Amino acid sequence: MGFKKQCVMPKNVNRYYWLCQISGWGILGLSIVVINTRVLKPKLTTDLIYLYTAILVVLGFVTTHLFREVIRRSGWLKLPVEKALPKFLIGIFLTCLGASVIRIAILGFLSMVHARETPKIFADLLASISEYAIIVIPWTVIYYFYHYIENSRKQQLDTLKLEALVKELELKTIKAHINPHFIFNALNSIRALIDENPTRARRAVTELSNILRSSMQAEKLETVTFEKELNIVKDYLALEYIRFEERLQVEYEIDEDTLDQPIPPMMLQTLVENAIKHGISRQVDGGKVKIVSDFRDDYHELLIVNTGGLNGNRGVDGFGLASTKNRLQILFGQKANFDIREVDGNTVQARVLIPVDGK
Amino acid sequence: MYMIRAIIIDDERLARNELKKLLLDFPEIEVIAEAANAAEGVEKIDSLNPDLIFLDIQMPGKTGFDMLSELERAPNVIFTTAYDEYALKAFEVNALDYLLKPVEPKRLADALQKLQLEEDKEPISDHPISINRSILNEHDQVFVKDGERCWFVKLSDIRLFESVGNYAKVYFGPNKPLILKSLNALEERLDEKVFFRANRKHIVNLRLIEKIEPYFNGGLLLEMKGGEKIEVSRRQTVKFKEMMSL
Repeated sequence: MGFKKQCVMPKNVNRYYWLCQISGWGILGLSIVVINTRVLKPKLTTDLIYLYTAILVVLGFVTTHLFREVIRRSGWLKLPVEKALPKFLIGIFLTCLGASVIRIAILGFLSMVHARETPKIFADLLASISEYAIIVIPWTVIYYFYHYIENSRKQQLDTLKLEALVKELELKTIKAHINPHFIFNALNSIRALIDENPTRARRAVTELSNILRSSMQAEKLETVTFEKELNIVKDYLALEYIRFEERLQVEYEIDEDTLDQPIPPMMLQTLVENAIKHGISRQVDGGKVKIVSDFRDDYHELLIVNTGGLNGNRGVDGFGLASTKNRLQILFGQKANFDIREVDGNTVQARVLIPVDGK
Repeated sequence: MYMIRAIIIDDERLARNELKKLLLDFPEIEVIAEAANAAEGVEKIDSLNPDLIFLDIQMPGKTGFDMLSELERAPNVIFTTAYDEYALKAFEVNALDYLLKPVEPKRLADALQKLQLEEDKEPISDHPISINRSILNEHDQVFVKDGERCWFVKLSDIRLFESVGNYAKVYFGPNKPLILKSLNALEERLDEKVFFRANRKHIVNLRLIEKIEPYFNGGLLLEMKGGEKIEVSRRQTVKFKEMMSL
């Protein structure tokens, strides 16, 4: 991944670099000229000030650019701080030395430095190096921290992308989830019904088809209207009623205005399936499933209430339940919520809250 | 050919009907009762003593496995389930058979065929009712459930019961699961011609002894077929010698 990043990055980063490099050195040159001509009493002619400054700036520009190439090619930015530091220090020194040597050579060539004895050249060199150091050290610091911050930002971004991918995959798994146990039991009941009650058997086939179809389509959709989902759940419960007969009672309490609200596909279905699997099917005398849909404050509230107890079972089995909250929050933001709890002894209530203004 | 008397245990009426309908093609099977849950199942098995039960695994209250482990002696069982390969994996050995719902008639025929072959192999003495039902015959099988694993075990395959606190460790093949039964309770139910109380902590199967050696204090040391060495207490040694001599 790191390698790829290096190959992809340059375009944008390069533009920033040139912008900073040119404007940085430009501003520096300008300020030197301004300070020497306007603020301080000029010791030299204006032309000479221009020339000195141009040499200083151009050399600084070129050598720091070379320094950057060295940093990039040897990958110093990826080293841990304690390893990078000595390298950078040596780099800074060599950059300043290089620039200074060339600068003094040019000045000498231009006969600006009148034939002086060697010690003076050495002193000039030292002076020049410290002049450059004042500029190159901040240059390096800025360069280093820019990349340091940029890298950590990229890393954060990568982590976020990865999380999103994981969530997406999770969603797909939940959506595709329909209990095979249910399908085969339903088919078995239908087979028995074919002799006993052919009309009901035919209807049951349609109901089962609806459920299978919607569970397949669910993978493509982010949300469906509550009405659509409710119809599936009604088909589902009708089929479970064939199995459980008088052991299953169903009750709906639906506010008609909530029918257009968006909800994640197959979510209600999964919750009702859990209510049957962990609630009704464990009761020797069966029980009741009640579905309530209403507006409460700024939320669309869905309740799935069933006979039965929690006794820890749902927490363990709760792949569907644990990810239900996650799924809601990905789709509707942090305000969306899901919880499940036991109310008065032998009743379990699952509650979904979706903020009405949507995302 | 005698009739095989069967009970169907399933919480769904339609599922029971469907199976009954399928069984109409097998005149040798007579469905003598139905039960809708584990409690009813135990009651009917105890009172009617069927040769075979068709047992659903997922039932309200107790599962089919739980029900089996409550029975003193397990009848022949064919499991019926919609989708429980997971649960069926619990079986290590000799689970009779299982049928996936909706049941394919051919699979049902195979399962019943297999059952009849077993019956032919060892004609159950004085079928269907042995003289004293409270004593377990060595051909009887018991259902043993230890945590997630379950076994059907013929008593004749069990070489040793060992007392471990309130539990008894049951040795057969390479397995030694625990069951919640005291050694004294077991002793009462086991056929004393086959199972012998060697000491306070052990009941051994006399047919599965490999070697007998004299031991301290006039006792004996038995080596079982599985390699376990069991000491016979002095008092029991007298009884043991009596039993083993003509």
